[in-house]
Order: sequence, then structure tokens, then C-alpha cells
Amino acid sequence: MSDVVSETQTPPDGDAELVTPVYVYGLIRVDTQLPDDLAGLGPSGRVSTIEHGEVAAIVSDIPLDRPLGTRKDLLAHESVVDAVAASAAVLPMRFPAVTAEESVVEELLAPHQDHFLAVLGDLEGRVQFTLKGRYVEDAVLSEVLEGNDEIRALQEKVRDLPEDASYYDRVRLGELVVGVLEQQREDDAAQILERLEPFAVAVVANQPGQPEDVINAAFLVERERMQEFDDAVENVGRDLDGRVRLRLLGPLAPYDFVPEE
Amino acid sequence: MTVSTQSRGGGGVVDRGGGGPGGGLADVVELILDKGLVIDVFVRVSLVGIEILTIDARIVVASVDTFLRFAEATNRADLYGKGAKPKDLGELTQSITEGGAKGKTSGVLDAAVDKVGEMLASGREDREAVRRRPRQRERDE
Repeated sequence: MSDVVSETQTPPDGDAELVTPVYVYGLIRVDTQLPDDLAGLGPSGRVSTIEHGEVAAIVSDIPLDRPLGTRKDLLAHESVVDAVAASAAVLPMRFPAVTAEESVVEELLAPHQDHFLAVLGDLEGRVQFTLKGRYVEDAVLSEVLEGNDEIRALQEKVRDLPEDASYYDRVRLGELVVGVLEQQREDDAAQILERLEPFAVAVVANQPGQPEDVINAAFLVERERMQEFDDAVENVGRDLDGRVRLRLLGPLAPYDFVPEE
Repeated sequence: MTVSTQSRGGGGVVDRGGGGPGGGLADVVELILDKGLVIDVFVRVSLVGIEILTIDARIVVASVDTFLRFAEATNRADLYGKGAKPKDLGELTQSITEGGAKGKTSGVLDAAVDKVGEMLASGREDREAVRRRPRQRERDE
């Protein structure tokens, strides 16, 4: 059988007894009502809970005939966690979280119960939104060309040369453009954050991945203020229209607000 | 499920993640592989494809490829000229061409018109557009 089974079947104490592996999606308060239509990543498709005291783990079976990590597995993890988060506080696990069934209580819930309850208490009534913004390439690159003589000159030189003769100039041109964009996005991101911060309890600004990415930030928002926050994002989006394209994800589980232990 | 999607429909200027609230796979990967609770009790199972996915989600490099991509994009942006958008291309072509006929275009615009002409020619086999290129027109005159 697969690695998944052989690894999870060997408990740390070396006991060779067979154990049942379970997948853990996240943690909730024991009185949280799970949505009915959750679809797990295991062969049964079912999602259930394992409870201990006042906390519970959202769990399912796992496929035993293959390693985890397919697109479907990732989406299943996300959709279970976010579906629960739509109506209740959930502490999301990082993908992948597999353990033996009995260790869920013995090693996860029992020893950390107080910590989990405290974190869930902080997250109660709050959800995450993730905002991503990307420059509208043509508009912003035209701006860059207009506003920078060195780039303008280099671009004109590159444009008139055959491709193989302009390689190093093109690399230099791209480097200069990327530099300008990265400088510019600091201002643009700061302005966006400044306008949205008043609507959030907490903000985490992640490093944008690509040079054309302006912002990648997570906002922890009170449920009652979701519409207000959404309206604020829409207003910012309208003001930036044609220059920055915003994309809003959520409500999500508070992935970015899970405290480090 | 999401309040935002339901209340906004397709009317707003801000994009919403399609499908679930998590949007596409790249968004999901960024969230659930990078973030969330980790407890040492969890077995690190072997994972198909995860290495590649993780690397994809973290392309932050200022590589030569990135620079070349932006050089290319900057050349494209130059085609559209100041303040113009791609959808204005037809209009722009015409005005530049007219300018060229009056002998007022700079070298930059000439080149741009050449490229636009090529694009139009290859895209639509529009002989009209090719004939309107300034250099050819000069010959016509």
C-alpha cells in the first residue's frame, strides 16, 4: 500500500498495531453546527468531528491508495474550512494535516485545549477577506514610459534593434521597469491599506509575488461589518479603475490570523 | 454563500473569486499550504505535486525572464501611446496615420504605425490598413 498508510500506521512508540489515519481540516468550538453539505477528501466523502471537552476537530477519512496533494484534495480542504467559516469561528489547519485517529484527542485537542479555545474566542464573529491588486499593465507601463527618460530612451533603442542584438538592453529595460513598479506599489499599497484599515480588526500585508502585483493583504473583519468593508473595497476599486484591478476573496477562514504558538 | 458575491452580482468593479470564496487553485494553494495551524503531531505524508505547486505560488524572483517579460510588455505599451487603451487602437491608428501623412509624426510613431499595420494585416488581412501606412502613402503621393 502507499506511503501514507505505512507512515501513519506506525505510531511513535513503535507499536505495530494498525491505526486509522484521519484528515484534520480545522478546529471549532464543540457547540458549532457544521453545514450539511460538506464534502471531504476521503473515499467516503463524509466530514465529521472528533470532540474533546469544549473543542472539536473537523475530520474525515483519507484516500489510502495514493498520496495526498491533488488539486481535488487542496480544493476539498479549502472548501470544507471556508464553508464552516462562513457561519462560525474555525481555526484552519495547514494542508496537509493527517494523523492517527486516537492522536486527535491525545496529542492535538487534550494538550492544547485552552490555547485553541482562547484563539477561537478571539476569532469569534470575525472572518478573513483577502484582497489582491494588480496593475493594469498597459496603463501603468505607459505611465512608466512617460515619466522616466532613461527608460524611454532605452525602450526606443531596444525597439529599433533586432531581437538578438538587444538582449542585454532588453534585460536592463525590464529591470528598470520592474524597479519603478516596485517603488510605485509601495505608495499605492499604502494608500489602499489606509482606506481599508478602519473597517478591519487586524490586517496582514503579505509580500506581493509579481512585479505587477500591487497588494496582497488579509483583513480580519467583524461579521457585522462585512458589507461595510465590501462597500469600502468597491469604492477603492472604483477610484483605481483602469490602473489597478482589485480582486476580493472571502469570507474565508482566518488563515492569516492563526497565531504562532 | 458569500455575502459579497450575492449582494454585488456582476455589477462592481472589483473581481470576486469564481466558484468558492477561495477563488482559483493558486489562491487556495497560497492560503492552505502557507498558512494555518501546524502541530508537530502531524505526519508529513508524501505528496504528489506539492513541491511544484509550492514553488509556483512563491515566484517572487526578479529573474532575467521577468525582466524580458517586462521589456516586451513595455514595448507593447508603447504601441498604445499616451493614455490610450487597447480598445482605442483602431482610432489611434487612424489619427497617427493621418498625422504621418502630414509629415508630423516622430520616429516613434512611425514605428508604432508600422507595427500596428502589421498587426492589422496579419490579424485581418486588411489591405486597406497596410496601404495606409505612412511610408507607402508617401510613395503613393
